[in-house]
Parts: sequence; C-alpha cells; structure tokens
Amino acid sequence: MNLLLATLAAPLATAGLGALPGPRRPKEVVLVFGLAATFALAIATAGRFLAGETPVAFDGALRVDGLSALVLVLTAFVGLLSGLYSVGYLERNERAGFVSAKRRTELLALVPAYLAALLLVAVSNNLGILWIAVEATTLASVFLVAFHNRDTSLEAAWKFLVLGSVGLAFALLGTVLLFASGQGVLGEEMSALDCTRLLAHASALHPFTVKLAVVFLLIGYGTKAGLAPMHTWKPDAYREAPSPAGVLMAVGMMNCSVYAILRVHLVSKAVLGPQFSELLLLGLGLASVLVATPFILIQWNLKRLLAYSSIEHVGIMAIGFGLGGEAATLGALLHMTYHTFAKPVAFFSAGTLAQLHRSSDFEEIGGGTLGRTPVASGLLLLATLMVTGSPPFGLFWSEMTILKAGFFGPHLVVVAVFLAALVVLFCGFFYQVGRVTLGPDTKPKERAVLPERLDLAMGTTLLAAAVAVASAFYLPDSLVALVRAAVRVVVSA
Amino acid sequence: MIHDFVVLCAAGMLVSVLLMVGQKALVVAIRLYCVQSLLLGAVGIALGLAQHRPHLLVTAALTIVLKAVLIPWFLLRVIDRVGIRREIEPYVNVPASLLLCLGLTVVGYRVSLGMAGASQGVAHQVVGVALSMVLIGLFLMVARRKAITQILALLTVENAVFLVAVGATSGMPLVVELGISFDVILAVLVLGVLVHRIVDRFESMDTSRLSNLRG
Repeated sequence: MNLLLATLAAPLATAGLGALPGPRRPKEVVLVFGLAATFALAIATAGRFLAGETPVAFDGALRVDGLSALVLVLTAFVGLLSGLYSVGYLERNERAGFVSAKRRTELLALVPAYLAALLLVAVSNNLGILWIAVEATTLASVFLVAFHNRDTSLEAAWKFLVLGSVGLAFALLGTVLLFASGQGVLGEEMSALDCTRLLAHASALHPFTVKLAVVFLLIGYGTKAGLAPMHTWKPDAYREAPSPAGVLMAVGMMNCSVYAILRVHLVSKAVLGPQFSELLLLGLGLASVLVATPFILIQWNLKRLLAYSSIEHVGIMAIGFGLGGEAATLGALLHMTYHTFAKPVAFFSAGTLAQLHRSSDFEEIGGGTLGRTPVASGLLLLATLMVTGSPPFGLFWSEMTILKAGFFGPHLVVVAVFLAALVVLFCGFFYQVGRVTLGPDTKPKERAVLPERLDLAMGTTLLAAAVAVASAFYLPDSLVALVRAAVRVVVSA
Repeated sequence: MIHDFVVLCAAGMLVSVLLMVGQKALVVAIRLYCVQSLLLGAVGIALGLAQHRPHLLVTAALTIVLKAVLIPWFLLRVIDRVGIRREIEPYVNVPASLLLCLGLTVVGYRVSLGMAGASQGVAHQVVGVALSMVLIGLFLMVARRKAITQILALLTVENAVFLVAVGATSGMPLVVELGISFDVILAVLVLGVLVHRIVDRFESMDTSRLSNLRG
C-alpha cells in the first residue's frame, strides 16, 4: 500500500475505532498506538522524500514536496502529543466527575479525526482537495470546541463555525476563480487545480481573475490561520476547547493553514510577481502582531492569553513570508518548527493549571501558583520563556533571522514597528504569566485546589518540554534538511 | 436562447436573495432559499444540455436534491422543533437593508467587469450576479440576529460560489464538487445540532445573546 495513503489512513482508522463503544483502556491504547503509528508513518513518508522520491497519490492530487513533508511531520508530532495528553486529561476529568463516558468517546474519536483532516491538508497538491480538507478540519473540531457544553462553549463553537464557514466560502470562491482563470489552458479535469500544473502554466492564466482569486483565498485561509482581522474566533475557541484539542488547533491547524496560504502565495508569485501577495501577507501579519499586543496587556484569562500569543506567532510567520527572500523565508519556516515544539508545553501546563484550579480565569486562579502547583507552574514559566522568544530558545533565533532579513530589505518601517510590538508582547506575556505564577499566594479562599500528581498528562508535558528544550540546542540533520527543502519550495517557484 | 434562460435564472437567484433581505418570516426565508437552489439547478441543467456536459447534469441533480429538498426540509424541521418563526428587530431595518444591498449589487457588477471572458456576456452577467450575492449574503450575516438566518446567509454565499463555478467555468471537477457538497451538508447538520443546543440552553436562537466572551 502507498505509504502516503497509509499515513492518512492510520489516524482515520484510529478515529473509527475510537467512535465504537467499548471499555476505556483498550480504546485509549488504540488511540495512543494509532497516533504513534501515524507519527512513524509521517516520518517514513518524509524519509522517502529526503531519499529523493516524491511520494504521490491519486494522480498527483496528493503530493509530498519539501513543504508538505515538513508540515506533515510537525503536525503528526503534535498529534501524538495530543493523543497522549488526551488520555491523561480524561483520566483526571473523570476522577473529578466532569466528563461522562459519552464525552470520552467524543474526544477519543474526534482528536484522531481532526488529525487525519490536518494531515490531508498538509499533503494536498490539488486546491480543490485542499479546500475539502480544510473544511473537514473545521467540522471535526467544532464539537471539540463545544465539548464542555457550557454557555460559553456553545457561543465559542457557534462563532468558530460561522466565522470559519464564511472564511471557507471565501476560499471556495477563490478556488473557483482560480479554476476559471485557467479555463482553455489547463482543461476541465481535476488536475487543473493542481498547484504543480498551475505553476507550470502560470504565464497563461488570466491575471485579473488570479488576483481576485488570491485575495479571496488569502482572506479565507487567513481566517483559519487566525490572521487579524479575521482572528476573533480564536480566543473564544482556545478558552473553551479541552487542552488536547486546543493544542491541535494552536499548532496543527495553524501550520496547515499557513501551508494553504503558502500554496496560494506560490501561485500568486508565479502569475502576478512576488509583490502582490507579499504585500498582502506583510499587511495581514503586521495587523495580527499589532492586534495581539493590547489584548495580551489587558488579558483576563490564561488560555485566551495563549490564543493572542498564537495570533502573534502566525503574524510573525506571515511577516517572514511577506518579506520574501531566502533568509526571511528560512526564518519563518524555522519559526513554524520551533513554535510547534514550544506551544504544546505552554498549552499543556496552562491546561493542567486550569484543571487543578477548575478555571482558566486569572481571577479564579489567583497569584502565586508556584507554591501550590510547582511542577505545572514551573513548566508554564519555562514555556513562557520559549514562547516569547527568549534566548537561547529556538523562537529567539527564528525571530532574529526574520528581523535581520527585514532590516536588509526595503520595508524598514514595517520591521521597526514589528520589533517594537515584539518587545511589548514579550513584556506583556511575562507580566501576565508572572502575575499568576510568582508572588505571594493570593488564591481565592473558597476555592479548593486539586493536588498535583505525576500522571500521564503531566508526563506528556514533561516530554514535550524536554523535546522543546533539546530543540533549542540540537535539531536532527533530517529535520534541518526538511526545513531547507521547504525553503527551496517557497523561494524557488 | 439558452443564454437568456441562464441569465434569467441567475437574475431570479438575485431576486430571491433580495426578497430574503426584505422579509422577516423564517419559513419564507427557507422557501426562498429552496427556490434559489432550484434556479441554480436549472442553470446547471440548461448549460449541461446546451454544451453536452453530462457531469454538469449530475451536479445539477445533486444541487436540487441536497439544496432544494434536503437542506430546506432539515432547516424547517429545526425551526419547527424550536418553535421560533420570525426575525424580530434585525440590527438594520428592512428599507435600509434593501438600499444597502442595491449598492452591493452595483459593486459586485463593477468587480466582475475585470474577469476573464467579461466580453462574452453570459459569464459576465452570471459572475456579476454571483459576486453581488456573496456580498449580500455577508451583509445578511451581520445584519440579522437569528441563527437560522445566519445559516441561510451562509448557504446563499455557497450557492453564489456554485453559480460562479457553473457560469464562469464549465463546472468544477466532479470529485471536487462531490467533496464540497458532502462538506456543505455536514456543515448544515452540525449547525443544526448547534442551534438545538443553543436553544436548549439560552431558550432563544438570538445570536446577540452569545456575547459573554470578550477581550
């Protein structure tokens, strides 16, 4: 069987088994092993690519080039972490009586289903399939947002689905317009929407139609990526989604939407020249970083804080791609890689903190958590160092790479504003996390805090932290090769 | 002849959207959506027969079955269950809405002038209608409160996109079209389930109640 198809089938089969009724232990084992197998298969697929092959399926509708291979491996990695954490999360919540058996089945089925859709996005070469896959991610994740069935969860899920659907309607219109722009040149077959064919016949496409298409596609997939001003669903969804789903959203969904944006960007570059979409990306990226700044400073909820940090990071990536050129692109793709390692630590430790205090609002958690829950709080502080881009961690280097490329480029003002925003964001994020973790114990008296235990969820957090710290000092050669291959894909076309 | 028919159907779709903007009963809005989908199906059948493209006939049949029958039936069932029948106090009142939508139609036509094949007539007319419908759909989305109206607005935008696909191209590839239709029907089901849950908890499907989350 085709290795690529096996990579996609593994999480789908896991989801199918997860949806069946049955005792919990075997189902949890299936989940973890299914996702571990998915990760292994993703690595094997990327290995095939590094060995010089180009894995394809369905006549090239699915195709693994450098960019796909990178996103595939990173997403499958987060999927595995999310699966491990899910098991621990359920165990904790069921002990506390928050989650029923029905909800457990929901989580065990939807997490791998979500991952399967994300992986399909990552290997789509055909823009039609890409759209279908992105819509599938939305549908797979909406009940994860509504998971806890509180008033606020329903509100968040409604916003998430309606905004996401509007964005996707835009993206669909863009896809149709792109298809229209190639009429008479590329034919009417399915392959007329293949990125590789669009790029090969770029000069024959109708420029105005492509321009219109690119605008709609960037707004559409930008909505899913959470670029400002289409980001408003993000804080709500992050707050309400259970942490294992949240991390798939924050890292997997973000990487995959950036992948979709890059595919559009490549077509746009080939047809209209680099300027058009680079300026659009630069604008959206800067808007995201600037929007995130005030909301981080006035934030009242730990998970929403992480959402605004995500908006900042996707903005940084968009700025990196918008600056163009090899150095900035390398910076942006490294940023994606390091963010994939760092964000789960932040999500898992914040999730643990919220679970032990039974709320993620600052007011309910109170200050000085380091004394009450030392491990989770310590990990959150570590994650804060990583996520804000402090040296020696990876995000510092990727941000420096982008800034350096920017200062040598023509957009000095943009880079200066970006740098200023970064500094404020750094301070703001630290201030907020410091308020919760450090200082005297100001826990609201009436709230009982559950004791911290070294369970599977905590173990997963420690594992994620170890990987993230290690990645600052050592990236495996094959991963570096993947990043370089991805840079070549984005720059050369 | 066939071109006139296609343009007539497209114009009919635009009229149905404007009527949707102009009234408040949810049942009527759903029926209007049903008519709109039938017209979209008619466009597909006409072009499929005229240009001898059998796959357009398949997608037209799919459109009629899904969007003119199944989805309206499902939505009617939802409002029947939750017992909410009218859009009361929209954010923007009806006369102002209609005037705004007139402006949006002009914008849609203006943008479509730059499209490939703008000189060929049919494509231009149809794309003009479709872009106007996209804009009006988005307007409906922000100007109305009821969850069902928002779903209908979304579906209208979806119909408009399909109109571009049929009118400006020879229809999307069949596999892609099937995938999209499947996703759309799933999305409607999910939205319907969410409406149920929202009505259960808030005893209303007024989306302006969904405003606890800020900042």
